[in-house]
Amino acid sequence: MAKLLDKQRYKCALGAMQSVQAITRALPILHSGPGCAQKLSESIGSSGYFSPNIFPCTSINEKDVVFGGVKKLNSTIENALKVVDADLYVVLTGCIPEIVGDDSGEVVSRFEDSDKPVIYAPTAGFKGNNYKGHEQVVDAIVEQYLKKSEKKQKGLVNIWADVPYQDLFWLGNLRELEKLVSELGLIPNTIFGYNRGIENINKIPEAEFNLLVSPWVGLNNMKKMERKLGIPYLHYKTLPIGATETGKFLREVGKFAGVDEQKVENVIKEHEDYYYYLIERYADLFLENRVINKQFTLVADAQYALGITKFLANDLGLVPAKQFVVDDTPKNRREEITAEFKNLNFGLEAEVSFETDGYKIHEEIKNHDYHGYPLILGGYYEKELTESLKGNFLNISYPVQDKVVLDDSYVGYTGGIRLIEDIYTVAVQRFN
Amino acid sequence: MAYKIAVGSSDSVNVDLKFGEVESFLIYEVTDKVELVERRAATQKHSDSNVSCGSESCKPSSCGGNGGGCGGADGVIAKVSLIDDCRCVICKKIGFQAQKQFEKKAISVFDIEIPIDEALKKITSYYDKIDNHKSLRDGGL
Repeated sequence: MAKLLDKQRYKCALGAMQSVQAITRALPILHSGPGCAQKLSESIGSSGYFSPNIFPCTSINEKDVVFGGVKKLNSTIENALKVVDADLYVVLTGCIPEIVGDDSGEVVSRFEDSDKPVIYAPTAGFKGNNYKGHEQVVDAIVEQYLKKSEKKQKGLVNIWADVPYQDLFWLGNLRELEKLVSELGLIPNTIFGYNRGIENINKIPEAEFNLLVSPWVGLNNMKKMERKLGIPYLHYKTLPIGATETGKFLREVGKFAGVDEQKVENVIKEHEDYYYYLIERYADLFLENRVINKQFTLVADAQYALGITKFLANDLGLVPAKQFVVDDTPKNRREEITAEFKNLNFGLEAEVSFETDGYKIHEEIKNHDYHGYPLILGGYYEKELTESLKGNFLNISYPVQDKVVLDDSYVGYTGGIRLIEDIYTVAVQRFN
Repeated sequence: MAYKIAVGSSDSVNVDLKFGEVESFLIYEVTDKVELVERRAATQKHSDSNVSCGSESCKPSSCGGNGGGCGGADGVIAKVSLIDDCRCVICKKIGFQAQKQFEKKAISVFDIEIPIDEALKKITSYYDKIDNHKSLRDGGL
């Protein structure tokens, strides 16, 4: 029997249209029913030059189910090329055409000789969620567009992180990662967001290595690029937030890239001096509020669940209760991610549960003894729950309805400070 | 379960007529086989069959009344009603007005130009699958 999923925290693979949209001047062409894009789009900063409401779509209906929709797909691509000025056209398929067996790949291959690149990513919902869909889009770019380059640019490194729009902080996070990497004397290359796009995609093959900052999303892309483009990769699992983790991050990236150790240490020292200056000034605030939140719980995708758990334990000395990873992490990645949760300072270990059912998560939180008010960082679904437990709540992961994020970031030294500000803003509001 | 399919064809071989051009619909009945059971004339719709309305309110022709030409809403409604015992209708083209009227009656519209045989085969296979909760993926359509 079909299972219902309570409080789901991701979308179907076609949600990857947002990953395409995050590439400036890249246009998704949807081979799907007319409602898909509408359902998948949200008012979370997705308007602009292209927006979900104008994505070309085959709007397939019953007739196309019976007789096939390839003709419609062909004309939709043909006309999109004529009337929409984009740099890259990415055809995404929904469930229906894939179930009835439209050969979308064949249709797309007819456009190989067009002036602008047209590529195709199968993103039927039954193949997985939008984390997988995001990987499919990057895969499509690597497989169908990029070619191996003999020329390498010294110090050039492609940076990959979590899923745009699904992670509301995606833009700020990527920019902050770029900044950190460039301080090591390397040249960062990313493809998403303002002032990035096809030019940056073209540079991918010239990089010396790929840097993946994510527990699991994108790992398949790294392997594909290693095979096809001959680019080695560094898989850094923890999103670095705060001084402890960012220091580790810089050292590891520096080591991998062969950056002079002293140079790395100098960068770290300069940041840490300022970071701890800020912490020191507010030490009394942290001490006072310690009593109210002895334990914390994250309800987030693997990226934030792991990154913030490490930050709160290592930098703020809070004690983790159970952590919940809600992104339907592939089973074969769970073990190594669980191991990361055990790898905290002060001999602390966090218990982690890979759970997508919101009801079960809420039951576990309700039944746990937090030895006081809990601190819960999660999706909007946890707000009411936290209120009923008289705890402190911060909305950091999908769905985010409690916060407007333009280019804010929770990465690096500044990201750590931002997160501290946000958490303690919530804490002090309780008394004021 | 038996159902009927209305087809617009001039030669009884190909779906080659637009909805508005059809003078008589071929009505196929689908049971465990598919057979042509009727040719239903659309031209006499107002004089003798009174398919869609009481005889008082029906004008002899929907053409010309308000200078709107043929195919106004009344004409379309009458023609749609003529075949409202069918599960779907297949014509080369079907206008927006008519599509909406069919939609209202939950009759599916297939506007496509192919041989009747092929259309019937695909559509009956589709209905067989959805009626019997079979996956649309099995064996293609």
